[in-house]
Amino acid sequence: MTAMLTRPGDAVRADRDSFRRLLHAEWTKFRTVRGWVIGTIAGGLLIIAVNLIPGGQCGGMQANGQPSLGGPGCALTLGPAGQAVTDSFYFVHQPMGPAGSITVRVTSLTGSYPPGNSPGQPAASALQPWSKAGIIIKASTRPGSAYAAMMVTGSHGVRMQWDYTQDTPGLGGAVSQTTPRWLRLTRAGDTVTGYDSADGARWARIGVATLPRLPATVQAGLFAASPGSSSVTSQSATGSSGSGASAQATAAFDRVDLRRMPPGSRWRGTSIGAVPNPGNQSPGGGYRQSGGTLTVTGSGDIAPSLPGGDGGTAGSVAGTEVGTFAGLIAVLVVATMFITAEFRRGLIRVTLTASPRRSRVLAAKAIVLGAVTFLVGLPAAYIALLTGERKEQAGGISMYPVPVLTELRLIVGTAALLAVAAVLALGIGAAIRRGAAAVTAVIAVIVLPYFFAGPLAVLPAGAAEWLLRLTPAAGFSIQQAYPRYFQLGFSYTPGNGYFPLAPWAGFAVLCLWAALALGLAGYLLRRRDA
Amino acid sequence: MLDATIEVNGLRKRFGPTVALDGMTFTVHPGQVTGFVGPNGAGKSTTMRVILGLDAADEGAALVSGRPYQTLHRPLTHVGSLLDAAALQPSRSARNHLLWLAHSQGLGARRVDAVIEQAGLQSAARRKAGGYSLGMRQRLGIAAALLGDPPVLMMDEPFNGMDPEGIIWMRGFLRSLATQGRTVLVSSHLMSELQDMADHLVIVGRGKVIADTSTRELLAAASGDRVMVRTSSAPEATAVLARAGAIVAADSDGALTVSGLAAEKVVSLLGAKAVPFSEVSAHHATLEQAYLELTRDAAQYRAADAAASPPGPSGPAGHGGTPASGPSAASGQEAAR
Amino acid sequence: MSQAPPAQRACPAEMSRASRASMRDALHAEWTKARTLPGNGWLHLAAIALTVAVSAAVAAAVRCPSGHCAEDPAKISLTGIYLGQAVIAIVAVLGVSTEHSTGMIRVTLAAMPRRATVLAAKAAVLTCPVLASGAVAVLGSVLAGRLILPGHGIGPGHGYPDLSLTSGPVLRAASGSVLYLTLIALLSLGIAAAVRDGAAAIGIVLGLLYLFPILGQVAGTGTWHRHLDQLAPMTAGLAIQATTGLHSLPISPWAGLGVLAGWTAAALLAGVILLGLRDA
Repeated sequence: MTAMLTRPGDAVRADRDSFRRLLHAEWTKFRTVRGWVIGTIAGGLLIIAVNLIPGGQCGGMQANGQPSLGGPGCALTLGPAGQAVTDSFYFVHQPMGPAGSITVRVTSLTGSYPPGNSPGQPAASALQPWSKAGIIIKASTRPGSAYAAMMVTGSHGVRMQWDYTQDTPGLGGAVSQTTPRWLRLTRAGDTVTGYDSADGARWARIGVATLPRLPATVQAGLFAASPGSSSVTSQSATGSSGSGASAQATAAFDRVDLRRMPPGSRWRGTSIGAVPNPGNQSPGGGYRQSGGTLTVTGSGDIAPSLPGGDGGTAGSVAGTEVGTFAGLIAVLVVATMFITAEFRRGLIRVTLTASPRRSRVLAAKAIVLGAVTFLVGLPAAYIALLTGERKEQAGGISMYPVPVLTELRLIVGTAALLAVAAVLALGIGAAIRRGAAAVTAVIAVIVLPYFFAGPLAVLPAGAAEWLLRLTPAAGFSIQQAYPRYFQLGFSYTPGNGYFPLAPWAGFAVLCLWAALALGLAGYLLRRRDA
Repeated sequence: MLDATIEVNGLRKRFGPTVALDGMTFTVHPGQVTGFVGPNGAGKSTTMRVILGLDAADEGAALVSGRPYQTLHRPLTHVGSLLDAAALQPSRSARNHLLWLAHSQGLGARRVDAVIEQAGLQSAARRKAGGYSLGMRQRLGIAAALLGDPPVLMMDEPFNGMDPEGIIWMRGFLRSLATQGRTVLVSSHLMSELQDMADHLVIVGRGKVIADTSTRELLAAASGDRVMVRTSSAPEATAVLARAGAIVAADSDGALTVSGLAAEKVVSLLGAKAVPFSEVSAHHATLEQAYLELTRDAAQYRAADAAASPPGPSGPAGHGGTPASGPSAASGQEAAR
Repeated sequence: MSQAPPAQRACPAEMSRASRASMRDALHAEWTKARTLPGNGWLHLAAIALTVAVSAAVAAAVRCPSGHCAEDPAKISLTGIYLGQAVIAIVAVLGVSTEHSTGMIRVTLAAMPRRATVLAAKAAVLTCPVLASGAVAVLGSVLAGRLILPGHGIGPGHGYPDLSLTSGPVLRAASGSVLYLTLIALLSLGIAAAVRDGAAAIGIVLGLLYLFPILGQVAGTGTWHRHLDQLAPMTAGLAIQATTGLHSLPISPWAGLGVLAGWTAAALLAGVILLGLRDA
């Protein structure tokens, strides 16, 4: 062979040509088996078809007994960046001009359950980790408007938060009569700076919030809010059942110091984001003023809002792709058969006689399979997104918005997930060589870990997370659509669309597994007699 | 023994646009080996599958000893069959393969050991059947067919993959089964394999029967009564024989082909006139030739047709050539045609 | 296969004797087949080992220091069934699909032309070993749970029922799990007989089992979710494992096993019909 090749360029070109022919041969093999083509297309259709399962509905009853879908209780509150937010609290406020500051001392933060709303737990536990109270400068009293706030919290110390997603820690420890917390916000145009202090003398700057296009006159004052308590009491393959109750936070403020307020202003109390929907946390509350002390009580939260949380995927963009599991199984079966069928009747000998370099045969198969599943998965994932959104909207449920890039990642990621999983199946199939056993093994390593960690939910969270970090099921991470927020107490579980790894990191784990399987398969294929 | 016959009556079957069986009709009688011949794709295997109730015919019926196969109780005691010798689970040993089959007919392990011996598989019976050569698998298939000691035996291409020794063994074996009074149906696409074994022939093409005849009649019809003479004085011999009323033609290799006279007559004529000759032999057509003449129209596949023509299978045909009775020997030379 | 020749009809008594004999023969033949396939024994062992291992691992992972968790000790110690069933499904599928892939089905059907009888014999021959290995797997799992769980705050000392087979609900969970495995095996057998190809059959079986609870998430917590749980072969069938909180189950334990039995019956029926209709 070496004697014939005069220039290295020829060798490379000949090599490339032979590989191109190999690809062509494998593609012909794939497309001429009707069952495989049907199986792959069926996989794509299944991804879409799952969205035909009726979903949840949002809405109330009309007077005539007909359900009325949609409505104000179902609409999302959108924050300044267009994301869904929760914005309901009790606000004691005065107008503030383009420059000014507000300083207070907080001496206590306590929790309670509104009358008639006790979950039967000791009242001491009513203070939630993210119950919050403090001072806030907010563009207006409209829910979802821009803000910056300094606050004390139930168990996360002093924080500065702004525009729902931003969160910076200040002093740690709980607030009490003996360990009061001083908070200050100063406004200069679009910029709000937060400070805290333990003694009112030494101040530390916590953060600088830039709130674009803040109006000249904003509302500044005191607030209190508390998310509801929730505890999951049991989880199983049949879903989870939990109990929750709305809670209130009450904070006592003194040494209130307002600078550069328009003259003649007085405190006004407003319940922000009060929604006439019994399902939502009713942000009742109020304030009392006695001497120099203001006591504010409120419930609700000022935070990002995430879909799910009740064991469903209502309103989640990622939820529209849940059919991936069904499509994946069809694709895995086809991918496994693409190689195991060769072994069953000795076709592999013909294949290896036609192209004796065994690893290249495997590579060609992987490329053909990966490309086919990716190209089928791409439109399927896109259509699934559209049909899923339409279904949710028909049920009166608003979709939680995500950036365009996230939607793109969701669609491309779903297709890539199918493609890489198919390559993994090819590798496992080449190693095991028996169709039924290989399909079981592939499903056991990709779908089962997700099932054990997610819907089955018998494992404690730690073990479940490791399953989703280490097994090929980590690949489903690519379908995460919403970020996690430290400042939002939420069950970040697979059922709610959260995985322990970041989207691309999880996908990389799957790719690693596929590469390992393919490498092992290539090694075995070379070592074993065909 | 019952009236052990196979009756096939007007079978029709299509696979999509392809007509596999087009009114297939014939009867197989006991006490003889019946050859079931035709080119690839003529419908032999399909007919056998229909007889065994594996495929359903669109029309027509197939009866074994007068009954449809499905109604037979312990069918392997009525019909033994060998369809596809490779049809076994490779990880099971030959003996265990026969054992489950025996159990399905209410038979015991002793019968299994008996057929293993009959098929000559004693030494390999406990090995995994997946490691068997094609010839050994055929023997295993024969053993399976014999399991129920059936009056009717049906084999689809039993000679496939067998070595010459195996082919001779198989021929003798099938013959002996027929002499025991059994009905034996053997399919083949190579007529030469059936030479000197089949007493009767059912020749098929395109899903129907072309000829249903005894082997002797077929051969007689194809042979004519030609005699080959090898002599150093061809002109004299030609004159003598032509005078006696024969038509004499000179072959390219110097031999003479004589029509219209029996071999004995030729010998006595040449002897009487003292014409020297080195060989006089009666020409016997091979089954191959007879078959090719019959199926020339029916051969669906030109390629198969071409492969069956010279020089292809003429080698094996010569190898299995018929030794004629007496001192005269027929040679299956293609030139004889 | 519609031909039951009117001419050949024997008297009913003789017929039934013959068909009883052929069923007996078929059982014997299929049993010999199953017994002499070397892979089968290993698969049963793997099913037992995986079931007990996963059960023990989950029991070891669960912690309930407060002693007030809503855990069902029987359910936890039987978690391995979720994985073990996949191996049992392979055993069942291979029993049919290898015959088709090798062509041996023709030998089988030539020897035993009554196709429904063949499938019935296969089902019976599958049932016994699965019952046996299922029983071993379940007993091993319960034993593991009994040894491990009390050390993790889930035991009789913490107000949980004792994991003993003498207690009615635990006995129901254990014996029900064995029945569950058997029904899964028969379901797989029916599907394999219907689709013939092993890889496709196992894909359908596992899809049927694991997909419902995953897809149920789309339906949220509404009535549709509940209906899915009542209809899905796995979630309904494994309701049998519950020993606590029965009132909150989507379907009662025995009714759930009944739903699975319905799926199994449908699969077997499809298998019988298709096996009968198709050319072998």
